[in-house]
Amino acid sequence: MLPLSMKDDEYKPAKFSLLLKLSGWFRSILAEKTSRNLFFFLCLNLSFAFVELTYGIWTNSLGLISDSFHMFFDCTALLAGLAASVISRWRSNDSFSYGYVRAEVLAGFVNGLFLIFTAFFIFSEGVERALEPPDVHHDRLLPVSVAGLLVNLVGIFVFQHGGHGHSHGEEGHGHSHSLFNGSAHHGHSHGGHSHDGHGHSHGGHQEPPCPDDLLPSAGKGSSKQILQGVLLHIIADTLGSVGVIISALLMQKYDLMIADPICSMLISLLIGVSVVPLLKESIGILMQRTPPSLDNSLPECYQRVQQLQGVYNLQEPHFWTLCSDVYIGTLKLLVAPDADTRWILSQTHNIFTQAGVRQLYVQIDTAAM
Amino acid sequence: MACEPNRARLLCMLSLTFGFFLVEVVVSRITSSLSMLSDSFHMLSDVIALIVALVAVRFAEKTQATNKNTFGWIRAEVMGALVNAVFLTALCFTIVLEAVERFTEPHEIDSPMVVAGVGAAGLLINLLGLCLFHGHAGGGHGHSHGGHSHGGKGKKGKHGKSQKAGNGSAGEETNYLVGNHTSNTKPSMEVSCKDSTEVQMNGNTHFEEMESEADASSQLNMRGVFLHVLGDALGSVIVVVNSVIFTFVWKPCEGPSCTNPCINSHKTDHRHINHTLVDLQDTDTKAGPCWVLYLDPTLCIIMVGILLYTTYPLLKESALILLQTVPKQINMHRLNERLLSLDGVLAIHDLHIWQLAGSRIIATAHIKCHDPTSYMDVAKRIKDFFHDEGIHATTIQPEFVTFNSETQGSQCELSCRTQCAPKLCCGQKSASDSKAAAASGLEVISEASEQVPSIQGGPRTEAEVAVTREVESSV
Repeated sequence: MLPLSMKDDEYKPAKFSLLLKLSGWFRSILAEKTSRNLFFFLCLNLSFAFVELTYGIWTNSLGLISDSFHMFFDCTALLAGLAASVISRWRSNDSFSYGYVRAEVLAGFVNGLFLIFTAFFIFSEGVERALEPPDVHHDRLLPVSVAGLLVNLVGIFVFQHGGHGHSHGEEGHGHSHSLFNGSAHHGHSHGGHSHDGHGHSHGGHQEPPCPDDLLPSAGKGSSKQILQGVLLHIIADTLGSVGVIISALLMQKYDLMIADPICSMLISLLIGVSVVPLLKESIGILMQRTPPSLDNSLPECYQRVQQLQGVYNLQEPHFWTLCSDVYIGTLKLLVAPDADTRWILSQTHNIFTQAGVRQLYVQIDTAAM
Repeated sequence: MACEPNRARLLCMLSLTFGFFLVEVVVSRITSSLSMLSDSFHMLSDVIALIVALVAVRFAEKTQATNKNTFGWIRAEVMGALVNAVFLTALCFTIVLEAVERFTEPHEIDSPMVVAGVGAAGLLINLLGLCLFHGHAGGGHGHSHGGHSHGGKGKKGKHGKSQKAGNGSAGEETNYLVGNHTSNTKPSMEVSCKDSTEVQMNGNTHFEEMESEADASSQLNMRGVFLHVLGDALGSVIVVVNSVIFTFVWKPCEGPSCTNPCINSHKTDHRHINHTLVDLQDTDTKAGPCWVLYLDPTLCIIMVGILLYTTYPLLKESALILLQTVPKQINMHRLNERLLSLDGVLAIHDLHIWQLAGSRIIATAHIKCHDPTSYMDVAKRIKDFFHDEGIHATTIQPEFVTFNSETQGSQCELSCRTQCAPKLCCGQKSASDSKAAAASGLEVISEASEQVPSIQGGPRTEAEVAVTREVESSV
């Protein structure tokens, strides 16, 4: 009996001891750089949220309380990214023949969705505020915004420095947008308005499940793009915090109440726009689309295969991305009855390996003569 | 097209909901009621969910393979279901947060009768939607596949007939081999919504299988929509109940000398500036029972609980499909054993089975056989075997054993790159795999130099010699 996969007891939670499980997860989080970064940033965000919560309760400011709840909401996005980075390293088993590597793509997609939802919500809040401008108090807004901006900058630094081109279409995003600032009637000092700048955690990117440090530079190119997307996002969020500060100043100095909702709407648009590339990429992967980086080289490969001796036709090619830079393909070859099957197989594999597809399944069908 | 009922329903519901959203916005402006405005935004999110589902259905109809999407857009429905489930979850979070806010700061409803009226209208619309989508909620239609796995579009009736008619190919390979000769790099899978006869899925050999696959992909999508509409209906129920109870139980503050004991004092300094001289004295009339104000958030939290409970299975299921999991009805272990028991099959590597969407399951494997001539017989049997299991899209790569060393057949002759080996390929996971390669000479020539030579030792040179010999002979 041939083993199909290694039963991996260490990471697969088959144990009944919770502590053992937790410590196992903890170890695997700390083992890798990107998940480590994610974890620490998550802790930073969480602590900031707690501080805000206690401060809000202590000063009885509903706005700060709701804002801190919002930060907790953001932390769940970070948590999803962290979970994905751990899960995607689990070994394959009977139920998951490819392993769990798709978890990253899925987490990226879900985070992107959450972001869009957040943007939509902020926009709606901005509209509500514009229609019925509340009486906003700003005394507590500025220091919180500044603190948030600082956390954001930390995020930029950490994830720009730490992510060496191995990020995936997955980003944990926290955003500082207090979604729920109470209703307009009460005119409370909500941590002011829709975005108190605070901590944005971004960027969960994890290393690819195939720790392919030997990848040719083509592979790194694609993940660099993702990393850039992450950074863009963090920068957008930093701009958001800056916008918050500016509008707070405007409101204080010139009493321009309309600045608040306009700021919210602009920022929600910004978030929406910045999320689109991430969503497009993850959707492409999840829909089993042909990998974009192979778009140019595949037709050439097909030509080469069809020129092999004995090959009549190449049918039903399917190429798709399992996770970043791991491509899987299947195709069917129609060959002459007297063709050298083994040679054709090896040559085909060769051709496609050069293109970057390492897992290839070639079915040989002999034409009836 | 049989997709029409779904599309029609979605469009109908969409227009109703959007119209109602506009009505709510207008009413909220007239009565300047903030809760109505926020409710209207909930309606808007419902509209978005419906749009997502509609888009998914539209895309999934294009099951034809395109250049970029060789599988067609079938997966769009699973994605639509996932998007809806995620939106629902996020919506639940926001409702929880709003409810918490209301707990800390309750406020009364301004014009409860209007709110009740609008809420009732919304409830009607949502109930209509529930009826429309009810059929797709849980289990579903049995799809008689007549031996095809097809994107289970849950269309009743027309499904079975068209399949049997469509794929008249009796034989397996010969038929489609000869027939499809014209294709080039672009395979044309003429798959329409109803028929979905995929060319590659031949083997029309048995009609009996495919008892009701409960969760075809379009059902997943519709389930997402149904849950969304359910959530909205519950919300409307809460609005109506709340406003009705409010009208009858709450005694509002009339007259200049009443206080509202339920609302925190730090609110009063913004509003009741005129009443600063009023103290909480017993002689003054008080506003109605305070618990009424807490009814709304409580009901909301209960509703969130119900919604999350019903959404979770949908979320899990669509996520599992997208994670390339082996479908639950397939037992890999047993499948493996039974495959090995077939004649002519020496070993199996790299068996991967995953679900594209609905009932379309795709399998790929490397099968080791004796030689090319015996392979053709085995191929047919393997395909039949997979068809029996319900897997109709298979790609089997043959690997041959020339020399008699069948010792440890676990070595994959066409191994993947070493870097990925521990994760994705067979054979080189650890030292536990056998070394003695069944030296069948299938080592790819150029790969040989890069391969980690830990496993192949002596037989390698023979293999290379054999291959080069073959190369010369065929050239």
